[in-house]
Amino acid sequence: MGQNSAAVYAQAIQTALQSVVTPTPVYASFNRNFASEPTFLTWTLRNVHQPVYTGAQSNKGIDRPVCQTNVYAQTMATCFAQAQLVLDALHGYQGLLGGLFYVAKIDVEWLFNTFDNDNKLHQIVLDMTFDIPS
Amino acid sequence: MALPNKVLPGFVASLYMEPGGNPTPLTTAQLATQANVSAIAIAANLLEVEAIPAFGQEDAMANFSVAGSRQSDKIPVQSAPFSLSFIHAWTPSNTNLLLVRADAYSGLIDRTYVIAFVEGANIVYFAFNARASQFSIDPAPGAEVQCTFTLHPRGNQFGWSNNV
Repeated sequence: MGQNSAAVYAQAIQTALQSVVTPTPVYASFNRNFASEPTFLTWTLRNVHQPVYTGAQSNKGIDRPVCQTNVYAQTMATCFAQAQLVLDALHGYQGLLGGLFYVAKIDVEWLFNTFDNDNKLHQIVLDMTFDIPS
Repeated sequence: MALPNKVLPGFVASLYMEPGGNPTPLTTAQLATQANVSAIAIAANLLEVEAIPAFGQEDAMANFSVAGSRQSDKIPVQSAPFSLSFIHAWTPSNTNLLLVRADAYSGLIDRTYVIAFVEGANIVYFAFNARASQFSIDPAPGAEVQCTFTLHPRGNQFGWSNNV
């Protein structure tokens, strides 16, 4: 096997985040068109990588991709509440993610909050590191 | 074909082990015979270690003083083979890993191991007999569970061969 499927990761992340914050909409990456909504989440997936070891192509380690999640809301209180929902549900989570694959641990790091003056939206950035068995 | 006349990346090396719970290690002549060695170097006998460590011979010499001379003399003497420490992702159901673990618990089992360097269709084999030791499992969070083991090669029980 070359590498766990990043497409499956993406589907699982979308499903898992959506189930945590429903009915708040969740989108992959960011599009300014969504900014008309009062509250929403976006996410991007990065650092998908299994370390390669010597010999056969199948000889690889675990994957530890990072999913950056941005929480947007027109009020600061809502923004913090939505971010807390994600933290409570997923920080330290172990189990079947989005019904698609088993994740050994999710480590959610609350990076910072900020305010986007153009869109008039509060924003909180979370980094979620997944430990995925290979 | 000829032996590879180029610098090889370390990533092309693989470790294979003789199968079975009660193996009969190859003789010194067989360790240098490609037919015997390549029979061990098959996918079912692969140990998916992270990397192949340095292998070879430790240094050992005696320092003699030479009467009337400004310089003394260093004479090579009996030296042991390098011990090889490997890191392997710990897969609890891996048959080969279970054999290494059993060998380490026993401490008495001699087994033939093969390191194969592949360059295209050319394969260079280093085969040696060794006993396993120091099998440990590190389940630190935030990384994969790794097991570490050390192979102590038996003295004078090694051989080189290739498929050229």
